[in-house]
Amino acid sequence: MLEAFVFATIFCGFFGIILKKNLVMKIISMDVMSTGVIAYYVVISAREGLFTPIASDIQKGAYADPVPQAVILTAIVIGFSIQALMLVGVMKLSRDNPTLESHEIEKGNMS
Amino acid sequence: MTTLTLVWITFPFLVGFLIYLVPRLDRYLTLLGVLFSVVYAAQLFIEPVPLTLRLLDRFGVSLVLDPLAAFFILTNALVTAAVIFYCWRSDRTTFFYAQTLILHGSVNAAFACSDFISLYVALEVLSIASFLLIAYPRSDRAIWVGLRYLFVSNVAMLFYLVGAVLVYKAHHSFDFIGLRGAPPEAIALIFLGLLVKGGIFISGLWLPLTHSESESPVSAMLSGVVVKAGVLPLVRCALLLEEIDPIVRIFGVGTALLGVFYAVFEKDAKRMLAFHTVSQLGFILAAPEVGGFYALTHGLVKSALFLIVGVLPTRNLKELQHQPIHTPIWIALVIASFSISGFPLLSGFGAKVLTMKNLLPWQIIGMNLAALGTAISFAKLTFLPFKQQTSEERSPLHPGFWIAMVVLLGGLFAANVVYYEAYSVANVVKPLVTIALGWLAYWLIFRRLIFKLPRVLEQFEHLIGVMSLSLVVLYWMVFA
Repeated sequence: MLEAFVFATIFCGFFGIILKKNLVMKIISMDVMSTGVIAYYVVISAREGLFTPIASDIQKGAYADPVPQAVILTAIVIGFSIQALMLVGVMKLSRDNPTLESHEIEKGNMS
Repeated sequence: MTTLTLVWITFPFLVGFLIYLVPRLDRYLTLLGVLFSVVYAAQLFIEPVPLTLRLLDRFGVSLVLDPLAAFFILTNALVTAAVIFYCWRSDRTTFFYAQTLILHGSVNAAFACSDFISLYVALEVLSIASFLLIAYPRSDRAIWVGLRYLFVSNVAMLFYLVGAVLVYKAHHSFDFIGLRGAPPEAIALIFLGLLVKGGIFISGLWLPLTHSESESPVSAMLSGVVVKAGVLPLVRCALLLEEIDPIVRIFGVGTALLGVFYAVFEKDAKRMLAFHTVSQLGFILAAPEVGGFYALTHGLVKSALFLIVGVLPTRNLKELQHQPIHTPIWIALVIASFSISGFPLLSGFGAKVLTMKNLLPWQIIGMNLAALGTAISFAKLTFLPFKQQTSEERSPLHPGFWIAMVVLLGGLFAANVVYYEAYSVANVVKPLVTIALGWLAYWLIFRRLIFKLPRVLEQFEHLIGVMSLSLVVLYWMVFA
């Protein structure tokens, strides 16, 4: 059930990238897609349990898997820095193309 | 050797960031970083046993360094060195050199990885560094081309991440070998990511615009080395798992034919070279066991070609037919074109012979057609008028260009020693016949042919849409 919602998020993001015309909306759709992927990693790591694995004297409970969580932290950071770079690029493009329609920018620059 | 490997991986990143502290020494520090890679690659060739490093158990980082990776690492080092020599006297800022070194380091890391998440990190760092280099001129066009590249690459990597976690779900490990028990969706998703990054087949149609619109040294690095970071993992997966081998070979043939088909009709020199990169990567995939040598020769020759086309007066091939080129430049152009067409005495010949020897029977027709197409399209560059121009007639060429040519073309001659068994009568005749047929076809048919192929598939939305189609196709290929 939860996995179905996560996949729905990924697909919404993906179709947003194709169907949205504004460049900033495309970047936000990509953000939605990456949120979906991050959520999927968290779902996988919660398969076995929900407790944070901390070594202590309390009795063992159902621990969550820390490996996908660690991996997806890297992916979150990379994704966020890529978006920051893209938004700077969009800021520069917006000087000459204030409406930021990807079709128009493409026609002007593909020749 | 373990310590040397770890130092080798971190060295370019450390030096790349430290360059900002001593901007005066930026070129020298970049060159130092690259020379370290050359030394390391040489060391790796003579290492008797492949080196396998593992950090933190099965689910951690795993690196594999063997002669296959050594070929790619050497390509990376030589191409980056040539690009630095080319840019030595130009007025590029410290930022450019720092990004070049970071790109070099991340490509090195991508070549060393043997697990999916380390590969993801290496590929993303590579995308960021490439974007910064593509957008270096800061014009609208450059920024749009770079943005498009970064977007397509990031979306492909998001699909790749889903595939990687499915592999983890099956095995509790991210290693390449984990593809064996993984569900078919995982293989399809990971391959989609790698096909897009490597510029293979229709997923790789972002490549022509990106490589042709960047500045020449950046195009040389992108075509010569960066796309190979997506190709080596495909080769490794094909070598590790026999089930995946036919899929990789099919894509090899497909992309070789697609690339030359577009290339023979191209009238713009840089776009033609970019389509050729798409095609030549197919040769590397078609015979995975011997892909390393082909990667080395292709990297050297493609970067030499991009640097030469960068000093030509114009990119339009029709105009170049009326404007004579300076003779030494023409000689360099002809040597490079001969090598990629497979002329004997240059290592391109040895690489082609070695690849053809390792093909499966169903691949032979397709790859020979691709070789013919390569000869036809490089006839366009070979048969250009040339004359010895005095120094008033031509624009001055800095010595850095010639040093870069010596490094790359000299490497092409020197690499012959890797596969000198290729020089037998039977082997020599076939490429010569192919080249002769190609030149004949060029003179008779293609010289006057003006045929504009549609560029629909290269539009941004279509690039993304093709990803979903490729996903479906890949899933069924893996399922079958």
